[in-house]
Amino acid sequence: MSALLSVKGLRTVFETRAGIVRAVDGVDIEVERGECLGVVGESGSGKSVTFSSVMGLVKSPGRIDGGELLFDGRDLRSLSPQELRNLRGKDIAMTMQDALTALNPALTVGEQIAEVLEIHDASLPASRRERRRAIRERSVEILNLVGIPAAETRLGQYPHEFSGGMRQRIMIAIALSCSPKLLIADEPTTALDVTIQAQVLELITELRAKLNMSVVLITHDLGVVAEHCDRVIVMYAGQVVEEGPTREVIEKPQHPYTKGLLASIPRMSLRGQPIRPIEGQVPDLINMPAECRFYSRCGVRKAVCKSLISMRRVGVGHRARCVRLEEASS
Amino acid sequence: MTQNPLLRVEGLSKHYVGSRSLGQRIAGVPRTVVKAVSDVSFEINKGEILGLIGESGCGKSTLGRAVLRLHEPTAGKVSFGDTDVTGLDAVDLKAMRRRMQIIFQDPYASLNPRRTVNEIVGLPLRLHNLATDEATIRKKVAAIAERVGLKSNQLDRYPHQFSGGQRQRIGIARALISSPEFVVCDEPVSALDVSIQAQIIELLLELKRELALTYLFISHDISVIGYLADRVAVMYLGEIVEMGPVEKVLAAPRHPYTQSLMSAVPEIERAGRKGRVRLKGDLPSPLNPPPGCKFHTRCPLATEFCSKERPETQMVSEGHQVACHRLGENLSLLDGVSA
Repeated sequence: MSALLSVKGLRTVFETRAGIVRAVDGVDIEVERGECLGVVGESGSGKSVTFSSVMGLVKSPGRIDGGELLFDGRDLRSLSPQELRNLRGKDIAMTMQDALTALNPALTVGEQIAEVLEIHDASLPASRRERRRAIRERSVEILNLVGIPAAETRLGQYPHEFSGGMRQRIMIAIALSCSPKLLIADEPTTALDVTIQAQVLELITELRAKLNMSVVLITHDLGVVAEHCDRVIVMYAGQVVEEGPTREVIEKPQHPYTKGLLASIPRMSLRGQPIRPIEGQVPDLINMPAECRFYSRCGVRKAVCKSLISMRRVGVGHRARCVRLEEASS
Repeated sequence: MTQNPLLRVEGLSKHYVGSRSLGQRIAGVPRTVVKAVSDVSFEINKGEILGLIGESGCGKSTLGRAVLRLHEPTAGKVSFGDTDVTGLDAVDLKAMRRRMQIIFQDPYASLNPRRTVNEIVGLPLRLHNLATDEATIRKKVAAIAERVGLKSNQLDRYPHQFSGGQRQRIGIARALISSPEFVVCDEPVSALDVSIQAQIIELLLELKRELALTYLFISHDISVIGYLADRVAVMYLGEIVEMGPVEKVLAAPRHPYTQSLMSAVPEIERAGRKGRVRLKGDLPSPLNPPPGCKFHTRCPLATEFCSKERPETQMVSEGHQVACHRLGENLSLLDGVSA
């Protein structure tokens, strides 16, 4: 079977007064059915923009400049706005990083779940009264599913009446209300405390198995990826620099950036040893020269890196964008 | 713990009293009191890093600020060397602040957007009369700026012209220019990306060694504390529930809350092999904290007794203290789940 989502050569640019920002520059990503794919990268690496592009959520001054977006065999870029709207929220759902700003503060949680069902659920009864009852029943069921106690009364409350962890659950509930085939979770736990983070991530993992959906987990935390994802994609400055099975990428990272990222995570086992931070900062995405994007910060750069670098195979399903792989590993 | 700690905090409390409307006052509605920090005691030795961990709302930042009297403590005593900080008047406190500094979490909110780097970093010199003429101030600012990794041609820029990591360097320079002995680091790396976070951590550790600094390092990131702290204190709802050397507290936690916290930390190394202690519910509201042991509402080991009596702090080994009623039974939540 082909991949559920296939992104090929995606380019998303933002036209600003200072110049064209190539936020996503030639990204290839495949999401298989039922898998959990982790997408890691620092701010500005293009991870959120990539999936906003998939969802058709990139707004002016941004636009998709090229590439192919195939979801379940359908070309997302050729869909009309109405067709895309039918698909979005029903087959692909996305949760946003900041639940407080993503939820509508003026509508109750019940109203926000009902909205999704009204638009997408064709199985709802036609008569108004029955319809309302069916929506209510379904909403309670969904809130129970994501572990919100006293769902009946909670439906009538507003987002500000919930804690951070509960709000994130509500967003997941809204995203799951039409049983999507793909859930894109953009930094679902960044604003949360570790114990709540663990609850939310376990919930996502549990629901993935129960509903047989694919999950894309966008995060900057490699620990989260290690515990929850089958495969991982590492992004840097608008490009994929490494991808592969999670364990392999973490245990045998190939790209100097992935290595640097792993080496710079402080942890107890590294006590007393200096952590080796990656020097410098993410390059400016305006007027990127045609060279390896990690060139300015790389510890093993050479003259040959001053050219465009493509992804190379380094193992089963494991690829990295570095010309110095052979030398670096030996 | 040695006899002469640099900083000694005894029974420190910080309560915030809510306001009442006229109607509420007439109706006799009692004032609401948030006990952000209640009866906290600890010591920090010279040259040591004490890590302070806990979830948001547990009172760790309030504690850090109460120690410096940025928030006036409600009760308790803070001694710095031989000086009783809580008893100082405004003039002496200002002089004391030269020796006790703070680095803030948010490098966007903690720098005045209308002042240049030179003005921001030079301000402590002016306030404490450490330098008065412009040329000396600029020279000193340039020296510390260079040490924290800023370029001397950036001194006349404004904060918005810097990235998050660079701004945090400005905050560090400002804290260190008056040559303090003790610095409260209030989540200094939480707002930063991983690679930048590592740069700032390395910088803070280098500066600590060079300048013989002592840190109270507040973080919600247990991995960061595990990496850099000597001792760690775990806070829950305004109280320290466990404290001791990092190797003991984080590797073999005894309090059920610390155990659950440790099991929730996502780790890249032992992924897939570890069980999870599940906690019920969210942090209770500090407006109305549970009676007895404050953790009993979420604790898998809680008995009826825990809801009645506040547990005393006990020493379990050299320098390792825990406040839990069920300590004697030697139960571990971690044993049950890792099987």
